[in-house]
Amino acid sequence: MRIGVCIKQVPDTDSHLRIADSGREIDDSDLNWVISSCDLCALEEALVLAEAEVSRGEERPELVVFSLGPARVEEALRKALALGADRAVHLADEALQGGDALADGRALAAALAGENCDLVLTGAQSDDLGQAATPAVIAEILGVPYAWLVMAVELDSHKQSVRVVRELEGGMNEVLRLDLPAVLAIQAGINKPRFASLRGTLQARRKPLQLEGCSGVDAGLVGAAGAGTETESVTLPPAGAGGVVIEGASAEAAAEELLAHLEREAVL
Amino acid sequence: MEALRVLITRESGGDPAAPTVVLLPHTYQSAEYAPRLAVRLGAAYVASVSSATLDACGGLRFSRAILQARLRAEVRPKRRLVVATVQIGAFGGHEPVESPERVFEVGRPADVERHREREMLGREAAGAGGVDLPGAERIVTAGRGVGGPDEVSVAADLASALDAELGASRPVVDNGWLPREHQVGSSGHIVAPNLYVALGVSGSIQHLMGMSGSRVIVAINRDPEAPIFSVAHYGIVADLHDVAPALTRLLEARRSA
Ligand SMILES: Cc1cc2nc3c(=O)[nH]c(=O)nc-3n(C[C@H](O)[C@H](O)[C@H](O)COP(=O)(O)OP(=O)(O)OC[C@H]3O[C@@H](n4cnc5c(N)ncnc54)[C@H](O)[C@@H]3O)c2cc1C
Repeated sequence: MRIGVCIKQVPDTDSHLRIADSGREIDDSDLNWVISSCDLCALEEALVLAEAEVSRGEERPELVVFSLGPARVEEALRKALALGADRAVHLADEALQGGDALADGRALAAALAGENCDLVLTGAQSDDLGQAATPAVIAEILGVPYAWLVMAVELDSHKQSVRVVRELEGGMNEVLRLDLPAVLAIQAGINKPRFASLRGTLQARRKPLQLEGCSGVDAGLVGAAGAGTETESVTLPPAGAGGVVIEGASAEAAAEELLAHLEREAVL
Repeated sequence: MEALRVLITRESGGDPAAPTVVLLPHTYQSAEYAPRLAVRLGAAYVASVSSATLDACGGLRFSRAILQARLRAEVRPKRRLVVATVQIGAFGGHEPVESPERVFEVGRPADVERHREREMLGREAAGAGGVDLPGAERIVTAGRGVGGPDEVSVAADLASALDAELGASRPVVDNGWLPREHQVGSSGHIVAPNLYVALGVSGSIQHLMGMSGSRVIVAINRDPEAPIFSVAHYGIVADLHDVAPALTRLLEARRSA
């Protein structure tokens, strides 16, 4: 059995974000790049599934991580290898860059199909664009069942299907069965991603990391050419509702001032 | 989804007045299949938009939050047909208008067999109760900015000084710092207390969906650009570990006075 995990490298949410001079994107000269948080949960879930197979006396599934992006993405893939993935595939070809979810999903689907993955895990949405679209696009192009916001995964003993718990609004969950192959988009909170060990980090240097071109996909459907959308501008959110802002005061003074306001609002 | 595809392609097929935009609500149900529908239609896809405008040439622009609501992006579809999901609450409700009702027969979708590949086995409640967040008069919420499991006490102390319930943002729950029943937001409790104090909460769309109806909102965050300040009636730009204990001390001093 082979499990594919798609990860995206995104700016650390704690980075200071500046808009680039073009006004169309963020300035990426001084950013800290990390694996998007739900994608780490997807990788962790793949590791847990693999370990569960081993403890059932079954063969350990092979875990292959995929990421589309420029050269910096290699660091994210190495980290995934350090965490326990067996192999990495980097969709680094110039023609694949600059796409949107439709284009990226198509490129990833082609790479995943090339590896014959029985199960594909991704994060539920990226920390940067947060469209929750790429995994659904992958599922559609592969023509396989899909579940979003997955909070539990269990493989059946014949590895023919998965039982999945999926989140709904307002504290309800849905229990589903999906035939394999399937794509599951993993929601944060399903598990606590492990940290890489020193041994893992050392081993990761020797694990295979393969560069993937764009053979097998129509060049007009991937990268910037295949994108269905274009970002015209990036701006700061509109200014606030005009609330009272207390800034620069000492903690005691700020606390005093706030309590005076709250007293006037009669909410204490 | 296949029925929708048949309906939309029939509607848009060749007719110059045919629809070019398909809007769906960004719910956990429709946002799951909407990107697949876009692929099937050969349409562009834009998720969770909060507004839409037309430019001088009649081209559509969608506005949506990116990077955890810290920035906004204006997105232009490059295809004639676009599928977009709309953020819940982004547009004020309007009175329904009478519109001619048309019934379409789409027949039995060709992919109906494929639905067996995904089968619903049941529904269940996600977590246990115990905390009465929806009924609370006052709520103090710990965000990821409190820093760790041992620091949640700054929020808990302020909550007890205010006689408030303790809330949590999703990462606080996901990290196991507080149990799930404390979670406020689209996948947790929807609350509207008289007083809502957010400590170290950035103000993501999903969190705001759960609390923006509160009467008085207070935010304490050290980032002056945190989106939570856009809904806060009172904002303190400072380290919560300085201000929250100061508030607790003042409230306790008043109580004992
Ligand atoms: C489908 C879906 C459903 C979701 N449902 C929910 C939900 O129900 N509820 C929810 O909350 N989220 C939900 N989320 C997650 C949401 O997108 C955000 O990730 C989350 O709300 C962020 O939580 P936070 O504000 O606590 O953390 P962060 O965004 O990390 O913000 C931490 C904040 O703390 C501030 N800070 C840090 N240190 C200090 C300090 N010492 N003093 C003062 N300020 C400090 C920082 O400036 C920052 O603004 C959902 C996401 C998805 C995709």
